[in-house]
Amino acid sequence: MNTYMQQFIEIAGKIGAQRHLTAIRDGFVAVMPLVIIGSLAVLINNFPPLGRFHLAAWLNAIFGEGNWQKVGGNIWEGTFAILGLLVSFTISYHLAKSYNIDRLPAALLSGASYIILVPVTADFGLDMDWLGTQGLFVGIIIALLTTELFRIFLINPKLIIKMPEDVPAGVTNSFKSLIPIMLVLFIVGLCQSLLSILADTNIFEIIFTAIQQPIQGLGDSLPAAILVALLTHVLWFFGLHGTNITGAITEPIYISLVEENLRLFGMGMSAYDVPNIVTKPFLDAFVFMGGAGTTIALLAAVFIVIRTQKNHPYRQVAKLSAPGSMFNINEPVIFGLPIVLNPIMLIPFVLVPVTLTIISYMAMFLGIVPKTVAMLPWTTPPILSGYLVTGGSWRGVALQICNLLIAIIIYIPFLLAALSAAKQQERVEEV
Amino acid sequence: MRVVLVCSAGMSTSILVERMKEAAEEQQVYLNVKAVAESDLRDNLHELDVVLIGPQVRYLEKSIKEKVEPTGAKCDVINQQAFGLMQGKQVLEQALNLMASND
Repeated sequence: MNTYMQQFIEIAGKIGAQRHLTAIRDGFVAVMPLVIIGSLAVLINNFPPLGRFHLAAWLNAIFGEGNWQKVGGNIWEGTFAILGLLVSFTISYHLAKSYNIDRLPAALLSGASYIILVPVTADFGLDMDWLGTQGLFVGIIIALLTTELFRIFLINPKLIIKMPEDVPAGVTNSFKSLIPIMLVLFIVGLCQSLLSILADTNIFEIIFTAIQQPIQGLGDSLPAAILVALLTHVLWFFGLHGTNITGAITEPIYISLVEENLRLFGMGMSAYDVPNIVTKPFLDAFVFMGGAGTTIALLAAVFIVIRTQKNHPYRQVAKLSAPGSMFNINEPVIFGLPIVLNPIMLIPFVLVPVTLTIISYMAMFLGIVPKTVAMLPWTTPPILSGYLVTGGSWRGVALQICNLLIAIIIYIPFLLAALSAAKQQERVEEV
Repeated sequence: MRVVLVCSAGMSTSILVERMKEAAEEQQVYLNVKAVAESDLRDNLHELDVVLIGPQVRYLEKSIKEKVEPTGAKCDVINQQAFGLMQGKQVLEQALNLMASND
């Protein structure tokens, strides 16, 4: 392997292990259950008729027009709608955990700082607009900065309140984080006052328009989606958890993008008309079917090509991996077949996801398939996921099936090549 | 022997956990094994003998070792082939060898 590749792997590994990026990723993982529940609430509220069964009409008839939907609406308000605030807690919790300092005080401090900075409405209410994904980037920044400051102050021996020796340890400890918390809150409060008095603005507006919006615009484009698919799979080819490494950077962007779709869908907009094509569920449901590399298609290809030799090693691996693959877990295929560092498999393993990204993007861009309006657990099996993420559309399922067929067709010639290479190897060994 | 397997979400290694338990039962070895996400490792370090890292997160080896080694537990990346083929027996062997090794 040449040195460029070596360097690439090393850098990728460093990014994947970087403390702050890891904290961001784990922070997002932690809020995922709430995000998914909030999303399902919106999906149920707006579920399309299934043949003669029309859930919405049925519930309307029982509880009165629109009343039952209030439950889902309320759930949304407390989950996805306050994502920015939630991640400011969880990211800070995870960063504190990685430093092995008090987690809960750090998380509370970050949440408190968020509230200090968030704009208020004219009648002194928190502005919900900024508690959600519009405040996501600020939430991340606040979590990282306040936790860093908290840590610096916490480990500074000059800032620890000294107690006489006979004071119990519990009492001393309760004072330990008091001064650091006070200092951080003072700094945050001061910044907020300066911004509002001198500049008549707030940090949320600044970050949103200057950073978040442009990045989201870039993220929701075909080249960006291709780049993400490419990078993730090249990393996996080297045996590194690609999704995990790119996740810290892509999650905040692609979750904000799906939130916008969801919010508009919840207000009654059709899934065809929502603005964003590339989102987290877009990649999860239409590209990462059966895991990275759409390997569920590779398994199908193995079962199609190797029919007679029941004990063929590829078939064994495919059989072993099939149950996990239904839920998009495919490490057995990646390491067992293996795909890792297997030059024949590199091409389809990267080509398939890139092709599927392009096809799915075009299908939504041209309005053939509705866009994604639901967040699901990434372990949701394909077909079901295609139906649900598109807001209950059979066209989503059709796109997944079409993608799977294309993926199988791409995998087959490379699989044949790998098989004949293995056979030649055997012959050489026999001689 | 108390073992923890680490990967990104603790999903793929949880398949391996079952295989290792089967292998341990066959060989009549006492084995307490579970799979955890890397972010939860710090809370699961209590009284461990061996920590095995999923090969897909081997880039975290250094930071995991920093957490594990002070506790006295042994730590290594799972053999890639054995992991891919979910060979509980081989991985169990790797864990046993690791625990027996002195360095």
